[in-house]
Amino acid sequence: MFSRIILLAILFIANPVFSAEPPDLEEQTRAIAAELRCVVCQNLSVADSPSEMAQQMRAIVREQLQAGKTPQEVRDFFVSKYGEWVLLAPKTEGFSLLVWVLPFVVLIAGLILGIWLIRSWATREGAAEKIDIDPGIASRFRSELTADKLTRPDPEDTSARAQLLREGMRYIEEIKELEFDFQSGKLGEADYTALRQETETKAAAVLKQLDALPAERPAKAPPKKPAPSRAAEKTDERRRSVRQWQLVGGAAFLLIFGISVGVFLTQSVRPRAGEEDSITGGFLTGTTPADGDVQSLLNEGKAAFNKEEWPRAIQAFKKTLAADPSNPEAHAHMAYILLQAGHADGALLAFDKALAAAPNYGMALWGKGMTLYQSKQDYAAARQVFEKLLQVTPAGQGRAEVEKVLAEIPLSDKSPPPQKTTATGKDTSAPPSAGQISGKISIDPKIKGKIDSQATLFIIAYGAGSTAGAPVAVAKIDRPVFPLSYTLGSENSMMQGAPLPDKVSITVRLDKDGNGSTREPGDLLGEYKKNPAASGATNVDIVLDQVAK
Amino acid sequence: MPWRRVLITLIIIAPLLWLFAFGFTRDTKYINSPLLAKPATPFTVTLFDGQKLTLEDLRGKAVFLNFWSSWCPPCRAEAPDLEAAWQRVKDKDVVFLGVAIQDTEKNALDFIKEFNVTYPNGRDASGKISIDYGVWGIPESFFIDPQGRITYKHVGGIRAALVTAKLEEALKGIMSAKEGKGDYQSIR
Repeated sequence: MFSRIILLAILFIANPVFSAEPPDLEEQTRAIAAELRCVVCQNLSVADSPSEMAQQMRAIVREQLQAGKTPQEVRDFFVSKYGEWVLLAPKTEGFSLLVWVLPFVVLIAGLILGIWLIRSWATREGAAEKIDIDPGIASRFRSELTADKLTRPDPEDTSARAQLLREGMRYIEEIKELEFDFQSGKLGEADYTALRQETETKAAAVLKQLDALPAERPAKAPPKKPAPSRAAEKTDERRRSVRQWQLVGGAAFLLIFGISVGVFLTQSVRPRAGEEDSITGGFLTGTTPADGDVQSLLNEGKAAFNKEEWPRAIQAFKKTLAADPSNPEAHAHMAYILLQAGHADGALLAFDKALAAAPNYGMALWGKGMTLYQSKQDYAAARQVFEKLLQVTPAGQGRAEVEKVLAEIPLSDKSPPPQKTTATGKDTSAPPSAGQISGKISIDPKIKGKIDSQATLFIIAYGAGSTAGAPVAVAKIDRPVFPLSYTLGSENSMMQGAPLPDKVSITVRLDKDGNGSTREPGDLLGEYKKNPAASGATNVDIVLDQVAK
Repeated sequence: MPWRRVLITLIIIAPLLWLFAFGFTRDTKYINSPLLAKPATPFTVTLFDGQKLTLEDLRGKAVFLNFWSSWCPPCRAEAPDLEAAWQRVKDKDVVFLGVAIQDTEKNALDFIKEFNVTYPNGRDASGKISIDYGVWGIPESFFIDPQGRITYKHVGGIRAALVTAKLEEALKGIMSAKEGKGDYQSIR
C-alpha cells in the first residue's frame, strides 16, 4: 500500500500544478515583501526585518495573494496606506524619476569633470600655481630670449639652477615652435597670442626663481658646453608622460575601488536571521545558505527521496528546514519518510506543517488523506481532505486517483475498522521512538459549536508539575480537524533538537488569532488529565473542554 | 577669466549644497500619511470586555481612535491626558476608542487598570487595523468626523487640549491641512 501512496505522491510532485503552487506563494510573498520598506526599521525590507510589524505585513501580503490579488494590487494596497515611502524602489515616474536619473547624471558629470581635471593637470605640468609676474621680468625674458643669453646647463648637473635653466630652455623651444606654427598658418592669431603669453608667463616665473637663487649667476655657473643631446630631451619627455599615466592610473584605481566597495559591501552585509547567524552573507563567508541553496538542498533531498535513500534525504530536508522552517515541500517529503517508517502521527504533523505554509499543496493533501484513511481509519477527516484535494486538482490522472480513493473510503467512521495498521502494515500500537509523546486530541461535544474554523491549535509541553511559564516544546497545527493525532518530539523542542524531558505536563489551546504567546477570551483549552506524561507515552489523549474567559 | 570659473563652480556646487541642506531638514523615517481627508477604513475590533465594536456603527459621531502599546513610554505619558479629554467630552456626540497593538492582552489590561482608562479599548492582535491606518509610530491618533472621514492624524504623544480641539473640528467636519507630530514617540 505504501508503494501506491508514494507512487501517487511522486505523481503529485511531478504535476506542475502542485509542485509549482506552494513555492510560488512563498516566493511571491517574499518577493513582494522584499520590495516593501519595514515601517519601523532602519533601511530594512519587510522580508528581512524580524520586527512584529514586518511579520504582520508579510502575513497580509500572503493573505492578499491567497485571496487572488496580483502583486501590483498588493503593492498598491501598502502604498495607499503608507504612501510611496513604503516602496524600497521608488516609481520611475514623476518626481521619483529624479532618484533614478540623478545618480547617473552625477556619475557622468563626475567622470567628465575628472577627465577634464586630469587633462588640465597633465598639460600644466606642475605650473598650476599662479605666479604674480612683474611685467619687467617678462620683457627681460623676451630680450634674453632674442639675445640667446640663456645658456644650456650641463645634462649631468642636478642643481636647482640647472633644473630651472632646463625648464626655461624648454619654454624657449615651445615659443619657437609656436612662432613656427603661427607663421606656417597652423595656429590662429588669437590662440597664438594666448599660448605665447601663457608660456612667456611660465618662463618669466622661472626667471624670477633663477634671480632669487643666491650667489651664482647663470652666466657664470655653467661652463660652455656643447648643445644638449637629443637623448636628454627624450628622457624629460618620458618623465612627463610617466607622470601623466600615474595620474590617470591613480584616478582609475580610485574609481574602481569606490565602485567595488559600493557594490560588494551592500551585497555582503545583511541583517542577522538568528543568534548564530553572521552579518555577512554567503558571498563572503558562505555561512548561511541563500535562497538558491535552499532550492539545491531541496533538490538533493528529492533526488535521494526518489532513490529511497532515506538517511540522505532526511539530512537534506533537515538542512532545508533549518534554512527555511516553513518550506512545504520539505515538510511533505519528511512526512512521507515518517509514514514509510511507521510514524503515522509524526507524518500527520509534518503534513499539517506543509499545509500550514501552503494550504492547497496537493502532495501534502494526498499524503494526509491517505494517512488518515489507511493508518488512522479516520474516514470523515480523510474524506474532508480528499474533497479539498479534489477541488484543487485539475482533470487528469491525479484527479481520477483522488476520485477513486474517495469512492473507496467508507462513508461512516462506524464501519468496523479493520485491524489497526499503518500503510506499511506495522502495528501502530508499538510505542513511538523514545523521547516522543503521542496521543489524540478531541473536542468536548458541549463546546463543539465554539470551534473557529480559522483557529490554530497549539500543543504545549511544560516542565513536569507546571502548566505556565516557559514551555519546553510546542507544536502548532493550523486549521486542525478534530479528532486528530499528534506526536510531540525533539523537533518541537524550544531548544532546537533537544529531546523532551522525562516528564512533561501537556496542555492544548485552540487559539483564535494564531498567536501562540497570548490567550484570548474564546480560545478553547484542554490539558492531559494525568499530567505529567512520561516521555515515550503513547496514549496521551486530551479533550478540549474549556473556553478561556 | 577668474570670475567665470567662480561662477561655474558656484553653479555646480550650489545645487549640491542645497540638496544636502534640504536632506538635513528631512526626517527620513517620518512617514507622511496619505490617509488625511480620506474615508476611514472600516473595521471591527473585539473590546476587552468581549463586545465587538464596528466603526461603521459609529457613523454620525466624531471618533477619536488611538493606537497604543503598554510598553511605549509616550503612551504612558499621554494616557492621563486622554482620559481627562474623554471625561470632558463624553456627553457629546463623540466616541473614544483605544486599540492596543504589538502588545499582549495581559499587559494591555494592566495598562488600562493602571491609568484607570474608562473609554472602550480592544486589541489588534493581527495588526490588520493598524496597517489599514498606516500606523508606524506609537502612539498614533486619528480623528474621524461623523461622515467617516479622517480629519486629523497625530503621531506621538498628544495633549488633552489638542484632543478636544481637534474633536470639535471633526464634529464640524473641518479637515486639517497637515498631520500633527509629537516629539515623543516610540517604534519597536
